Amino acid sequence: MKALTFTLRAQPEERLDLSALIPDRLDGMSVAEIAKLRIGTSRRPALVGDIFKIRGENRSHIIFDGGSRRFDRVGAGMSGGMLFVAGDAGAQAGRRMSGGMLVIEDNCGPHAGSGMAGGRLEILGNSGDYLAGPLAGEMLGMEGGVLIVRGKAGHYAGDRMRRGVLAILKGCGDYAGSRMIAGSIVVTGRVGAMPGYLMKRGSLLFDRRPETISPTFIDCGRTDIAFSGLFDRYLIDDKILDKPLLGRKPGKYGGDNAVLGKGEILFRMGR
Amino acid sequence: MLIRLTGGEIIDPVNGQSGKRDLWIQDGFIVDKPEGERADKTYDLSGCIVMAGAIDIHSHIGGGNVNTARLLLPEQHAAHLPRPADTPLSNAGWSTFTTGCLYAQMGFTTVVEPAMSPYNALHTHLELADIPIIDKATLTILGNDDFLLSLIRDKTSSDMMDDYVAWTLASTHSLGVKVINAGAAAAFKENVRAFSFDDVVPAYGVSSRKIVKTLQASVNRLGVPHPLHVHANNLGIAGSADTASVTIDATEGVPLHLAHLQFYGYGTEGKRKFSSEAARLAEQVNNNPDVTIDVGQVMFGQTVTISSDITRQFLAIGNANPKKTVIIDGDGNGGGIVPYRYKKNFYGSLQWAVGLELFLLIDDPWRVFFTTDHPNGAPFTSYPELFELLMSRDARDAKTAELNASALELTTLGSLRREYTLDEIAIMTRAAPARLLGLKDRGHLGSGAIADIAVYRRGRDIAGMFREAALVFKNGELVVENGKVVHLRWGKALRLKPTPDKAMVRRMQAYHEERYGLSLDWFTFPDSAIQRDEPFAEVSCSS
Ligand SMILES: [Zn+2]
Repeated sequence: MKALTFTLRAQPEERLDLSALIPDRLDGMSVAEIAKLRIGTSRRPALVGDIFKIRGENRSHIIFDGGSRRFDRVGAGMSGGMLFVAGDAGAQAGRRMSGGMLVIEDNCGPHAGSGMAGGRLEILGNSGDYLAGPLAGEMLGMEGGVLIVRGKAGHYAGDRMRRGVLAILKGCGDYAGSRMIAGSIVVTGRVGAMPGYLMKRGSLLFDRRPETISPTFIDCGRTDIAFSGLFDRYLIDDKILDKPLLGRKPGKYGGDNAVLGKGEILFRMGR
Repeated sequence: MLIRLTGGEIIDPVNGQSGKRDLWIQDGFIVDKPEGERADKTYDLSGCIVMAGAIDIHSHIGGGNVNTARLLLPEQHAAHLPRPADTPLSNAGWSTFTTGCLYAQMGFTTVVEPAMSPYNALHTHLELADIPIIDKATLTILGNDDFLLSLIRDKTSSDMMDDYVAWTLASTHSLGVKVINAGAAAAFKENVRAFSFDDVVPAYGVSSRKIVKTLQASVNRLGVPHPLHVHANNLGIAGSADTASVTIDATEGVPLHLAHLQFYGYGTEGKRKFSSEAARLAEQVNNNPDVTIDVGQVMFGQTVTISSDITRQFLAIGNANPKKTVIIDGDGNGGGIVPYRYKKNFYGSLQWAVGLELFLLIDDPWRVFFTTDHPNGAPFTSYPELFELLMSRDARDAKTAELNASALELTTLGSLRREYTLDEIAIMTRAAPARLLGLKDRGHLGSGAIADIAVYRRGRDIAGMFREAALVFKNGELVVENGKVVHLRWGKALRLKPTPDKAMVRRMQAYHEERYGLSLDWFTFPDSAIQRDEPFAEVSCSS
């Protein structure tokens, strides 16, 4: 069976809510039914058929041929199957996804992977602010799964994260891992100011010493732990990185002592 | 314009028997049938019942704490998406706008915000002025403020006390006085965390009882129609029935209103040391004609508790769901916002049953009032379901089947077969609140009353009937049709307007200069601060 493909006819004139176009919700629907789904968000909302040409049968393998910064909530709530976006995505890509695989081949907006609980989300370009973070008022950010940004991430990446692995390969903005509760965040490249701000527990894993850090973190010197080797191997086995991140005896900061203080920042020494 | 409502069954216990008769509306008032005139507009209300617009005496719809709750829970707004296409502010389901519309759709036309901190008066009135359709009123909180406690400590004359209460009512533009956990918030500032009716506030040496009795007497002497509105000590705690009981005994011949009695209906029996004392409290209320109560019914689901009882809210932090709170140890009462989800477990089931026991065991519908203490027991949008529970024992039986049996065994609810009649509903939600608040112009359908009228289509689905009124008139204007708002208008805030004593004004000026280093003008405001035509309407005192 061929993948169900949504080919973009032209750039949409309004923001779209694409959370309806996931394997879970399209299962058993005909192309005609899909074409009538409402995805626009304005007063005269567009239907799927207005925006996309639809081809293919396989409801569990979906491709968006062409993307846009106006594609909001792509893959939001998906629990299985595969979804590829050949282009950009807007806000909240993969929000609350719990399984399956979502790939954004270009850049995406804020709140990508917000509150995701499982599955794998890969962003090949850059992501906006609040990567994996909660929406206003929500208590938890990412709760599980694997989220990889091959480019750069904005500010507040991994805000209020509680479980899972978040990897950012070309650096990120300020306050990475802010208010973290648990989980692991990997960053290679330059990290902005105040990583781990108000983190309670959890691990920030960097390929270099962070430049500015809150004074409520404590320098713990070098640590000789088995974890760094194990985790380096996991990152390579899972094709997240192609070379070890921490190496032996990484440096460590403990904090944030402004709150619980059981978090850690581990980083590769000697760079 | 002359409007005639014909064919409906009029439920108006104040003016006699229910039955079919015509109602006439002219210039916003209900009038006798004008001889020789023809109606400009006639509504055929066959199959409908007609009541006065309902009055809610205790619902936290505006002011500082409500606004803080909105800030704490922005995710509640997201829950109202997708937005209905043509309402302004529709992305914020908890706005002043929806508050007015949702109340009107259920046939409510007057709502009292019962906990306005004096220094929040301007904010509260600005917010209330933004609630469309309905009339509003406020009760001002006193009883933990330094000025009053100092007056009591210094054994000041009762005249001075009355002047202070009158000045507060006038300067906050309110309809009455509320006291919240009298003395406890002042004691909280001295790190006291448990406070009962005969406990004494450190530094002032005055007991909670003394504060309540002082305010009760002042309110009574001033002729404020609404008796002192008391939020008693020890809210929500196992054994709080004893506190409610001594508070009821303290009326001593003078009227007193006890708010949300359900939250005090708890004893310490049973395995979990949490049981129902509703039957005992109901009997006490039945035997004491001085006291009126509102229930504060709990319904199941997500809500947020909003209270100026800082002691209670501080102790409830651990129960917050979701786990976030705001506690403000502010001037006078301060307050606390604690989100909470009532579950169908032992505790939730018991609280639910206690409220219904009070409704069903207190005989006199003139003295028991219909509230959920919105949003503390449940949001006011759950009223239709609550009407159904009161009017149908089958509905109660069906609901009890879903609940925790061991909790219900500790209550008398299973044995209560009473069903409220429409007449009793009309008394409890219309006539009695109007009388309790001193609003002679509403709560009934007699000639001369404001044409606040709710028309419900009779049906087997009681909740449905009360959720979507067939027609609602506010001041004679048709505002709701078939459960939908068809016309927006601005109601007024009802207030007493006692003339403040000049010496007291000077004394308050000096007090504010000294205590806050600020002119009294920072705390008081003229009517013109509320940018509506005639934002207020006056209610007269009885003496
Ligand atoms: Zn209340």
